[in-house]
Amino acid sequence: MSDKDIMIEAIDVNKEYRRAGAIIRALADVNLRIKSGEFAIVQGPTGCGKSTLLNVLSGLDLPDSGRIIFDGENIARATEDRLSRLRRQKIGFVFQDFNLVNTLTAIENVEAVLWPTVLRQKEIENRAISALRDVNLLDRKDHYPVQMSGGEQQRCAIARAVIHRPRVILADEPSGNLDPASEKEVMDLLKKINKDLETTVIVVTHRDLSKYGTKTIHMDNGRITKIQ
Amino acid sequence: MWRKAILLSLREKKVFTIFTLIYTILIFLTSLFWQLAFSRDLEGAGYFLAIFFGTSLFLSLLYAWILVSRKRRVWATFKCIGYTNKNILALVSGMILFTTFIGFIVVIEILFHYTAALSYLHSENFLLDLNEILIGLIPVIITSALFIIVQLLAFIVAYRKVLKVRPIIALKKVGE
Repeated sequence: MSDKDIMIEAIDVNKEYRRAGAIIRALADVNLRIKSGEFAIVQGPTGCGKSTLLNVLSGLDLPDSGRIIFDGENIARATEDRLSRLRRQKIGFVFQDFNLVNTLTAIENVEAVLWPTVLRQKEIENRAISALRDVNLLDRKDHYPVQMSGGEQQRCAIARAVIHRPRVILADEPSGNLDPASEKEVMDLLKKINKDLETTVIVVTHRDLSKYGTKTIHMDNGRITKIQ
Repeated sequence: MWRKAILLSLREKKVFTIFTLIYTILIFLTSLFWQLAFSRDLEGAGYFLAIFFGTSLFLSLLYAWILVSRKRRVWATFKCIGYTNKNILALVSGMILFTTFIGFIVVIEILFHYTAALSYLHSENFLLDLNEILIGLIPVIITSALFIIVQLLAFIVAYRKVLKVRPIIALKKVGE
């Protein structure tokens, strides 16, 4: 495997937290390579460190030691502005609680990603319409989040995650608040994006969603216990 | 980003209405006391002016604090999707400035209607002892300009608070 194929690499990553006076080792000597175009499922029980792993892989949190190589760049010591730009250009986020802005309509929520860019409003709108069409939500474009079901909100969040054509989508328990039918819908959608756009997808979950992934990373006590 | 700040302001109906109303009253009263200070019609007008500007400063700080603190999760989400601190500050500053600007427009509108109503009544020789111009344009413009300068302090407060919003908050589960 050449270095060019590697999208994200974690090298000897450690992360500790202090909680109620106790030190919790959230990540212990984690080494991981995610190739470009892979669909990786990170699974493990609650508190095993999988969300912390997602946070450090995306630059939302910094490791205590070790390196995170994101698309050839070590982001473990990057400035906050550099990380913001990296996220705007290369990362799409999908959250468990959807995190849509309640005062914005579906299309405005999707467009919001591109507001700080130099793109014209018409181009932004066209891209948002295209993204909403891809997630089969165009008929709901003028609805507010409260007017949509959980599954629809998550599909809107996925449209928001792909509008800027990122290289990686990071999803934190994307089906955690959804019923089984909506879960299947959301995971199928992520799978389709992974296949059609060759976007690297990393899903963190406590459920067994390994059937959707090309790689499953099992975690326990801050360590990677098995990679399938 | 300014246009988006206006959009966000208008969607925050309750907060926007309350603060626009307060700014309208403050701009009106401050302009009135400027007018009185200029014409020396009221002794101690300067004290009232100081009070109104102090109140304006307090309100601007409060508004900035409310906009950043109440919507921390929204700003954290925006940071996750690639907004820099400056992008978020542009939105917050735009929301504050737009509210003040609308307050200014409402005051001008009230003064127009006041003058129009009195002119109409004067045509029938009613209320002749009242001046058709309640507050001149200059005091209103001076007041609005000074209010905007006062808000620069609010922007500094907002920026410091925006810096403290960590994007990781967006990933926390609701209620956690």
